[in-house]
Amino acid sequence: MDRIVIEGLGKRYGRQWALRGVNARFAPGEVVMVIGPNGSGKTTLIKCLLGLVRANEGAIHVQGREVGADPTYRATIGYMPQLAEFPRELTVDQLLRMMNDIRNARSGSTDDRLIKALGVDVLLDKRIGTLSGGMRQKVSAVLAFRYRPTVLVLDEPTAGLDPVSAHTLLNAVQETRRNGTTVLITSHIMEEVQQLGDRLAYLQDGRLRALLAPETILDITGETSLSKALPKYLAQLPSAHVESL
Amino acid sequence: MWKVCKYTLIDLARNRFALGYAGLLLLVSLGLFLLEGDPTQALISLTQVALALVPLLTLIFTVIYFYNQYEFTVLLAVQPLHRRSILLAQLLAVTIAMLVAFFFGLGLPVLVYCPNAAGWTLLLTGAALTAVFTAIGGLVAVKNRDRARGVGIGLVTWVMMVLVYDALLLWIMFSFSDRPIEPVIVPLAALNPIDLARILVMLKIDLAALLGYTGAVYQQFFGSAGGMLVAFVALLLWVLLPATWAVRAFARKDL
Repeated sequence: MDRIVIEGLGKRYGRQWALRGVNARFAPGEVVMVIGPNGSGKTTLIKCLLGLVRANEGAIHVQGREVGADPTYRATIGYMPQLAEFPRELTVDQLLRMMNDIRNARSGSTDDRLIKALGVDVLLDKRIGTLSGGMRQKVSAVLAFRYRPTVLVLDEPTAGLDPVSAHTLLNAVQETRRNGTTVLITSHIMEEVQQLGDRLAYLQDGRLRALLAPETILDITGETSLSKALPKYLAQLPSAHVESL
Repeated sequence: MWKVCKYTLIDLARNRFALGYAGLLLLVSLGLFLLEGDPTQALISLTQVALALVPLLTLIFTVIYFYNQYEFTVLLAVQPLHRRSILLAQLLAVTIAMLVAFFFGLGLPVLVYCPNAAGWTLLLTGAALTAVFTAIGGLVAVKNRDRARGVGIGLVTWVMMVLVYDALLLWIMFSFSDRPIEPVIVPLAALNPIDLARILVMLKIDLAALLGYTGAVYQQFFGSAGGMLVAFVALLLWVLLPATWAVRAFARKDL
């Protein structure tokens, strides 16, 4: 059974459609890299999935439950936003406790491996207002993975992270995928897309123009790197083409 | 809701602006009581300062705090929580924090130097104004995505309530001075929470006599149990209406 089902999704801001006619199905254990130019609808797609914006058309189902007013489906979702901002006067430990309380997480039920792997364990007593952007990003990564989500949404997760932490995070993605978590990642880094993605979802002008494995694009274009193959592949697509799923 | 409220309060307890607000009120209150020989005179001056300062600083602080928390609020909205619980929790926490700062900064000096009915009325109306302007600040922040625009609307709201509304009332009173318009002025004054608070404090200090017939009408209306009930309901509505509006708007808002 598909973990996420998107059917005829459309979102309009004023008269402008940010997303239109998007259909997609994502399976358990699949990593989907959501890519596209700025303003293509990536963020809107993710926000629709998270229930942050309401679609004007269509629907999204997560584990068979329609995304809507009932927030309980979000207990299965982990989210790492592009910009990690938390209450400045809380300590990292207090923030983790707050999220534990909200999630009703019992002691021992959380996945705390990233706390040590990313070096967040030495930040626990520090006030968030004193942390750098990269440190806050690490805390954000910890929160996203901590409650063993079955759907993990990462919005440009390695932006702002040092190379070692970025590597640790990408390893964690691989590990969580092996446990059956569906992972959606937005990224502009083609190496990441090629390395991590089972499929890439290419959005342009609010339309899903392609949803297929990176290897397929490499095979079609005869290129060895995705950064060269993707423009070549897109150039041969008819403008109104939407990849059938 | 209580979980979010608890941690928002912990955050606010160390907030420099909230601490500065309490310190400023303490400084102004102590300064007035120590400089004025007569505690009642000091209370009159403090009333004028407090009824302008408390709404302004509460409103601006609330608006800025909500904008500063926007990204975190989005993260909370991705948790298994109802949106209305998130906003109610944040509004409640900011209200509690500002009330604590208000009672520490203004309440303690008033209770030490002027612990009479007028002093208590100033504290209660000041507390009501704190709740009113936190709710209005929350509404302004929810309805306006742009921070500068939100702060601007907050300032305009304050100017309208503190200055423009009073000026309009004065203009009406002046223009229709040859007619018995006091029965109209009383409910009009009650529509503005700051005016309502000022009237309630003035009545307790017995300044209503200085206002002539208008003062007598105020005394007659707000001096009665029914009048006090109307004042209480008016202030309660000033809290509930913007808070409800903010919560509903936040529940439907695209974040």
